[in-house]
Amino acid sequence: MTTGVLIYCFDTPEVWYHKLAERCIEQIKKYLRLEITVVTDITTFKRFKPMGMINYKLIEPSLGNRRSYRGKGVSWLNMERSMAYDHSPYDKTILMDCDYFVFSQNLLELSRTDFDFMLHDKVSDISGMDMIEGVDESVLPLVWATVTLFKKGDKARAVFDMIKHIQRHYAHYRNLYRIRYTNYRNDFAFAIALHQLHVGDFIPTPMSMLSDKVDVIDSDELGIAFKFNNDVNFISGQDVHVMDKEWCNG
Amino acid sequence: MDIGNLKKHSDLNFKVAQAKKNALERMRSRQLMAYNERLFVADANTINLVSTLKQQKQDFYVLDVNDNPCHITEPQDFLDKLIERNQETLNAYQQLHQDLATKRS
Repeated sequence: MTTGVLIYCFDTPEVWYHKLAERCIEQIKKYLRLEITVVTDITTFKRFKPMGMINYKLIEPSLGNRRSYRGKGVSWLNMERSMAYDHSPYDKTILMDCDYFVFSQNLLELSRTDFDFMLHDKVSDISGMDMIEGVDESVLPLVWATVTLFKKGDKARAVFDMIKHIQRHYAHYRNLYRIRYTNYRNDFAFAIALHQLHVGDFIPTPMSMLSDKVDVIDSDELGIAFKFNNDVNFISGQDVHVMDKEWCNG
Repeated sequence: MDIGNLKKHSDLNFKVAQAKKNALERMRSRQLMAYNERLFVADANTINLVSTLKQQKQDFYVLDVNDNPCHITEPQDFLDKLIERNQETLNAYQQLHQDLATKRS
């Protein structure tokens, strides 16, 4: 049975996601040593530095979605993730955001278990300020699509087919689950699909996160140094979802 | 103690408490352990359960973290792996705990 990592990465006018993906891939190579497939567009592909054995799948992403980032409206090319089942060449896939950085072998441990669909339903704000989770965002048990493990089979296929359906009728589902956030967001789409289909296991430990109000000031292969409210701190040995998108740009 | 010093103490204690919380999260993440394709936490509860069942039976069933049953046919092997992972993570946490104690004093 093959296991690999699938990453979606599209540069936008505001954020060079390929810089984040390059760092993300370095970490995967060091800690997970799994095969990696990057789904990207031709413009972003040309900007990637040579990184050795990586599979690329070139597609044209759907445009139009936007989101707020540090007080500005920015492009958000996040619609393609619903195609992950079709894009993945692996039996077991770790579907990962390119701003998720592994500093441990935890995902490898999770991938050695029997699951159909597994993801986080809890988060932990490393800064201690609880800036990640909103209040009363929806009437839905929220999950985090940042890192999702799935095994090819009827159940996982049903989840992704459901996500595609939700994407097409997002206004209806947004209304049904009283989701405040107006734009399409994968976390909600995944949560709705799991709620509708009654499937999915959860990773028992929360996902560690640094909010976009926290600046990442440096990183090495062991961890990340970050700054918030003039306090500098360092986290190591723990996988982290970093919402500061500019730190890799130098 | 004046309010300036109290503020310093408060900030330091917040930092220490947060560092401890992050270290505990890291420890618990590392205690996740795959065995026979099931997922377990190598904590005191699991170790105690396996140790107790092992005294009574040669093979038995336990539930993993997602309530899936797992047939344990080699209890000693499972227990050894649980204890090894548990102690590895606790050793790492103990080192950080000592560092934090130094910061506090």
